[in-house]
Amino acid sequence: MQDSENGTSAHHMNVLGWKIDIYIGIWVILLLLTLGEVFYAFLPLPKMVLALGLVAMAVWKAALVGLYYMHLRYEPRNLWILAVSPLPLAFILVLAVITEFGWLVG
Amino acid sequence: MSDAGIATIDRTPEPGMGVFNKKLGMWVFLLSEVMFFTSLIGSYIILRYAHPDHFAPPGAILNVNLTAANTFLLICSSVSMVKAFAAIQQGDVKGLQYWLLATIVMGASFVGVQVYEYIELGHEGFLPGLDDYAAHAGGPLYGATFYAMTGFHGAHVSLGVLALIFVYIRALRGEYTVADHEGVEVIGLYWHFVDLVWIILFTIVYLI
Amino acid sequence: MSSAISMGDSHSDDHHHLGFIRTYIFSTDHKMIAKQFLVTSLLFLAIGGILAAMIRWQLGFPGQPLPFNLGAILPNTMAPGGIILPEFYNSLVTMHATFMVFFALMPLMAGVFGNLLIPLQIGADDMAFPRLNMLSFWITPVAGAVMLASFFVEGGAAGAGWTSYAPLSASGEWTGVYMGQILWLVSLIILGFSSITGALNYVTTVIAMRAPGMTWFRIPLATWSLFITAWLLLLAIPILTGGLILLLFDQTIGTAFFRPEGSGEPLMWQHIFWFFGHPEVYILILPAMGFVSEVIANRSRKPVFGYHSMVVALVSIAFLGWIVWGHHMFQSGMNPFLGMSFMATTVVIAVPSAIKTFNWIGTLWKGDIHFDTPLLHAVSFVALFVVGGLSGIFLASAPVDIYLHDTYFIVAHLHYVLVGGSLFGIFAGITFWYPKIFGRMMNETLGKIHWTVSFITYNLAFFPMHNLGVQGMMRRIYDPNQYEFLQSLQSTNTFISKSVFVFAGIQIIFAINFLWSMKKGKKSGDNPWDSNGLEWACPSPPPHGNFAEVPIVYRGPYEYSHPDREQDFWPQDEAPVDDLDGPEYTDPNESTESNDE
Repeated sequence: MQDSENGTSAHHMNVLGWKIDIYIGIWVILLLLTLGEVFYAFLPLPKMVLALGLVAMAVWKAALVGLYYMHLRYEPRNLWILAVSPLPLAFILVLAVITEFGWLVG
Repeated sequence: MSDAGIATIDRTPEPGMGVFNKKLGMWVFLLSEVMFFTSLIGSYIILRYAHPDHFAPPGAILNVNLTAANTFLLICSSVSMVKAFAAIQQGDVKGLQYWLLATIVMGASFVGVQVYEYIELGHEGFLPGLDDYAAHAGGPLYGATFYAMTGFHGAHVSLGVLALIFVYIRALRGEYTVADHEGVEVIGLYWHFVDLVWIILFTIVYLI
Repeated sequence: MSSAISMGDSHSDDHHHLGFIRTYIFSTDHKMIAKQFLVTSLLFLAIGGILAAMIRWQLGFPGQPLPFNLGAILPNTMAPGGIILPEFYNSLVTMHATFMVFFALMPLMAGVFGNLLIPLQIGADDMAFPRLNMLSFWITPVAGAVMLASFFVEGGAAGAGWTSYAPLSASGEWTGVYMGQILWLVSLIILGFSSITGALNYVTTVIAMRAPGMTWFRIPLATWSLFITAWLLLLAIPILTGGLILLLFDQTIGTAFFRPEGSGEPLMWQHIFWFFGHPEVYILILPAMGFVSEVIANRSRKPVFGYHSMVVALVSIAFLGWIVWGHHMFQSGMNPFLGMSFMATTVVIAVPSAIKTFNWIGTLWKGDIHFDTPLLHAVSFVALFVVGGLSGIFLASAPVDIYLHDTYFIVAHLHYVLVGGSLFGIFAGITFWYPKIFGRMMNETLGKIHWTVSFITYNLAFFPMHNLGVQGMMRRIYDPNQYEFLQSLQSTNTFISKSVFVFAGIQIIFAINFLWSMKKGKKSGDNPWDSNGLEWACPSPPPHGNFAEVPIVYRGPYEYSHPDREQDFWPQDEAPVDDLDGPEYTDPNESTESNDE
């Protein structure tokens, strides 16, 4: 779905032979994921499995918003490298400090 | 690109991003916002890890269903925002106005539901202060982190709604065209970002 | 060349229509904003210096009333009978550092030089967002006023150190300071917006507004360092802002993020603060490194040795700077394994700084060195920064730091890098770019006197502090004589204080030079230093819009003493003669794809 710049005439995706507006298509996926998250959160599973699954779904949703609504998918590569650059820092801070409270290294 | 009182040269962007100033500026600003929410969300994760007894299982205190619906509302507002942008890309000014208004209404409703939720929680004794916390589960850290994260997110949404109103007024005046609608794209980026943060927050705060 | 675009109407004409307020008070011109930052930062530098003098008075002449009847000005809550109270002393050490770091050094580095140099060096007409730039400036004096006001509220100014560790800072119960601490937090939260919006402007401007031919590896090192610094500001300040807000909540609405009585985690404050705090110190030094590179290259009439490695070193320092923060916390009771990993990363970060140091030396080597004031400041930067770096390596080792932490060894280290490094680097920058800002040269004689006395008294004051620290003198201590083992150090402390007073006093020469030269200095012309950068290709001071035509860049910024040329410099925008291509000449009309990314 390569665009020339930002604007195109038709932003569509092909689903089972139907042409669907991509924004609506992503919206449906987001709805399903949200419902899925709420359902999943109350399953009788170990805490870690729940947490990881939920975070994975949240990240998936966030990525969809970023890629398709914020158009990162169609932007020059440098822009999305820029966009994700603070994320490693966020991980480093949180992971490092959690080790203070006994995670991974007592 | 006359931002200031002085005339500026209209120049094509140099090798670099290939994107124009305002859009790049908004992206760069959003990166700083990522770091801001990192400190708030990070402190929540750290405190939760250190003192799990202060926190309660999903749904014990917080209203998951209401907020899930509210989350969906915000996602819908993101869709209307991008539809607004797509409209002006085609030169459809009426469409731009319609979808912007929809975004404003949904965004404002999101804040409204949050305020309602805060009031309800307050009645139940779920408050941020150490000495005020009186909910039937969890401890004061739960209240403190909850209000810090969702409160600042709500503030960002509110500012976004105000900015959208400003953009909407400009749209009503016909100031956006096929050729020049960078302002719409820029507010759109901010709005999607606010939605994105909420997607993460909702999961971490309400569901884990 | 067809790509030379004219700027249209003469910008100097627009100037008249703006009036006094729009020209001098609410200006959107980056050069005026740089000057505004210069005024406020030098003012706050002076305030920080006065606070330091008071600290040194107490340490050098303990328990004695302030001289020249200064005690009469101060209220009894601060210095009854002119004798500094211990509580006031705590505020002094806190506020000295706060003003110096946040209101003097940061605005000098980013606010002054970022605003002045970035558009000029990349060939732009102004910043990407001039009105946002104006806002970014005006936030600073507002935040400064709040910070100053904190001295005059009940309980006095914040007294928990500039690092404001919880739980001391989280509740007024321990320090007796209530409103003062709150105002400290509010002031810094406000100031954060200035940094973030400024950084946003700098990053966008450098990425998007470079003149044709100004590829990434033709950007001068001053702009490179300011660009990298802007990234650090952009990503680090919001972390601080978040932490400050949480601490403010602890102080005001009774949350317990950091208060142990509510299961809060004081250590978490330290982590959040230093996660910001370490990139912060690189924010305070990287621009100075950039200025020093420019000055040394120009005054030696030689290219910067290893320009590419200089850029790589800047990026490495910025990158590694995110993963060393725990070295400020070795003594905090943090997880020792975590401490070990921070020790490793801290040792590694010395490497890019060393690369830069060797490159500066390589630049000077066999150069045609002009020993004027900017060069003196630049070279003393290198020497003093090395001293600071060496003391830093001692501190990087956790076992050593456990002994030296929170002693005067740390005070020595931080002042060597921040004064010996940053301040001398700023002096180099000011003396070098003063003609561009004001159109006149600073006085060389006064400059040399200022440098000589500053350099000598600075070292006399701060070098002995290494020994004080090793002997066990603690930091932020009001009265070391209460400990018998420190009593023998009193004579050293008095000596240090006297040196500091002379150091502070000689800055008056700098102030006189600065003010006098504005009107009476020798007129400088466009390019008094025979420099290559684009900032010298426009008048001094530059008019609105800077360049009459968009400059086109043909080569890098350090083509000094090129063998094929008679002149010992080769401006970046000088069009090549037909039969002589510059070493990096590319016709911007021929290449359509982006160059190095």
